[in-house]
Amino acid sequence: MITLTNFLLIGAGLFAIGIYMVLAKRNAIQVLIGIEFILNAAILNLVAFGKYDKLYNSGQTFALFAIVLAGAAAAVALAIILNVYKQYKTIDPNKVEKLKD
Amino acid sequence: MQTTLLHTDPTIQLALLAVLIPFAVALVNLFLVKNQSKVSGWLGTLAILISFVLSAVVFSRVWNVGDLHSQWLWFTAGKLQVGAGVWLNNLSVLMLLLVTGIALPVHIYSIAYMQGDEKYSRYFAYLGFFCFAMLGLVVVDNLLLLYMFWELVGFASYLLIGFWFTREKAVQANKKAFIMNRIGDVALLSGILILYADFHTFNMVTLFDNHATAAFVNAADSTWITLPGICFLIGAMAKSAQFPLHTWLPDAMEGPTSISALIHAATMVAAGIFLLGRVYVMFSPDVLTLMACIGCFTAFMAATIALTQNDLKRILAYSTISQLGFMMMAMGVGAYSSGLLHLATHAFFKCLLFLAAGVIIHQMQHLKDEHQLDIDAQDINNMGGMRKGMPVTFVTCVVASLALIGFPFTSGCLSKDGIMVQAFYWAEGKSWPHFIVPVTALLTSLLTIFYISRLLFKVFFGEAKIKEMVPNLKTVGHDGGWLFSLPMIFLALCSLFPLFSFHPFDYSEAWIVQGFGIAVKAAGSISYETLVALTVNIFGIAIVYLAYTLYISRSRAIKQSGFLFKLSYHEWYIDWFYHRVIIKDVLRIGSVLSWVDRNIFDGIIHLFGSVSIFIGKITAWIDKYLIDGFINLLVTVVKQAGNFVRGFQTGRVQAYLLSMLLLIVVIYVLKTFM
Repeated sequence: MITLTNFLLIGAGLFAIGIYMVLAKRNAIQVLIGIEFILNAAILNLVAFGKYDKLYNSGQTFALFAIVLAGAAAAVALAIILNVYKQYKTIDPNKVEKLKD
Repeated sequence: MQTTLLHTDPTIQLALLAVLIPFAVALVNLFLVKNQSKVSGWLGTLAILISFVLSAVVFSRVWNVGDLHSQWLWFTAGKLQVGAGVWLNNLSVLMLLLVTGIALPVHIYSIAYMQGDEKYSRYFAYLGFFCFAMLGLVVVDNLLLLYMFWELVGFASYLLIGFWFTREKAVQANKKAFIMNRIGDVALLSGILILYADFHTFNMVTLFDNHATAAFVNAADSTWITLPGICFLIGAMAKSAQFPLHTWLPDAMEGPTSISALIHAATMVAAGIFLLGRVYVMFSPDVLTLMACIGCFTAFMAATIALTQNDLKRILAYSTISQLGFMMMAMGVGAYSSGLLHLATHAFFKCLLFLAAGVIIHQMQHLKDEHQLDIDAQDINNMGGMRKGMPVTFVTCVVASLALIGFPFTSGCLSKDGIMVQAFYWAEGKSWPHFIVPVTALLTSLLTIFYISRLLFKVFFGEAKIKEMVPNLKTVGHDGGWLFSLPMIFLALCSLFPLFSFHPFDYSEAWIVQGFGIAVKAAGSISYETLVALTVNIFGIAIVYLAYTLYISRSRAIKQSGFLFKLSYHEWYIDWFYHRVIIKDVLRIGSVLSWVDRNIFDGIIHLFGSVSIFIGKITAWIDKYLIDGFINLLVTVVKQAGNFVRGFQTGRVQAYLLSMLLLIVVIYVLKTFM
């Protein structure tokens, strides 16, 4: 039987992988993928904890919202990446350091 | 007498003019006239002539008429108001006339004597300045001004004694004169200041005028009256060359002879006697006795020295010292008026003797240069037989010598006999040691006869010694031009009795004596007038004969090795004593002080210096390494911290994220485990 702990472990693993990708990858697309990993880890947690709310299934409902939101966010992020590429001719986040004073 | 303002009294103005004209001309000679210009001599003479005429006018208006005093405020210091002014009384107008009267022939003589000298104009500038200083000295009414002119007289004589300053001896002589006078100056200044402390005024009229003697009379036994009297006496002793401060005068011969004439007659040495006369009321009986003893001893000592000297000018110098001794003695024994009469008569004949000596030395120098002889032009042993070649010099010289001896019908007879007679009256009624003074004076006047006869015989009589060296020489010397003769004839006439008294023998008839009050004429048991006159004249003839046998017929000779001869020849070893004892000790003290200064005081200073440098170095080290080090450390820390913090500001999104994550982790760990 798959217990809650298993879900949580998987979620934690997904989150760790996501964090790693966000921090370490040299490609903005991959960073975006890392963000999706993190989101999915969170959604997995929502769904897993949703079994304690059998009456309203609010976990599942919130997960749906989050998925939609993630999709929108990914679209926006991709658009930003496209614009960054136009601007800098690269999508390596290390090379984009305009924030430095 | 009343004190008037300057602009109200024409006589005072004339007197001031008489003082200032020589000074003005001296300045003109010094700055405007071209050097060696003939103009300067005549200009100087003209100035002194005008001064002489003005003095004569002032004299006629003041002498026996009444004193004049005029002053204006000089400066105010606190409550003290010091006035500067002119005080004309019998003494000062007599001195005015005397100084200008002697300076005039000296100026005329100098025109010829200094001819061709490379500092001709400068000479006349100095001469004018000298006269100005002396004239100023005799008219001022204030002790401070008196002291100022006193110093100026000393300074002017310093300039003139060292006139030929390229000669080493002249430089030594003027330094000596200046330093010895300095001793007297210090005493005089102390005396002035003590008087000021006593009476709170510098005004000489208040202090010394006859009407104001009460202060001195009432306090006659007070130390604070005797002490300034002694101080003034020492001042006068230095200026008037009295023992033991006399040694500068013989050395002062290094100046031009005309200057010697002026110094010895009217200006420098007369200043001391004048000072005594001016402040006479101040002297207490003790000081007067001291004055008489010093004068008497100096007169005797100088006369004995003059016996054996060979330098013409040196003999005359010692003769002057001796005569000044007489004057001082006269002041001391109360023969005030005779002392001043002697000052006046001596001025004429001593000036004349020096001018004559100048001519003689001039001729000797001339012969020496002409024949290239290796002789001393001033040594009387080289002279002789000069009466044929230079009759004017000879005759005037004889007149002056007779006056010096005190021969009847000369002015010297009036003054010198007067002094000796009054000295006897002074001693009478006192204890017997007091008689030493007049007897010594009498002896001195006999010595005077000897040394002046020796001088005359050696210079004018006999055969010219110079002919032994130059066999074909015809006459020795000649009189020179009228510029030489005229002043000498004038002075010779002034050395005879009519100028001073119509009675050739009685000194109390002389107008100068009468002008200064009646001479002492107590009724003694013996008539000293007769005694003195007889002694001087009878022994005098014997002495002249003795000198004649010694120096002309040579039927006698003196052993030149006896103790007394050596004592006289070496001038009583006084200079030797000064050199060996005083100067040596002073120099030794000086070198010890110099050593102390160099090694101890300088050592302390150097120690301070080294310590300061050491402390400075330590401070510098602390500054450099501790204080600067601390600042540098701070700067480094701040810089490193800045750099460290800057490291976070990479501008990379991922780095920021990592920082955030780490921060959250840290906060989480802290929250959870602490």
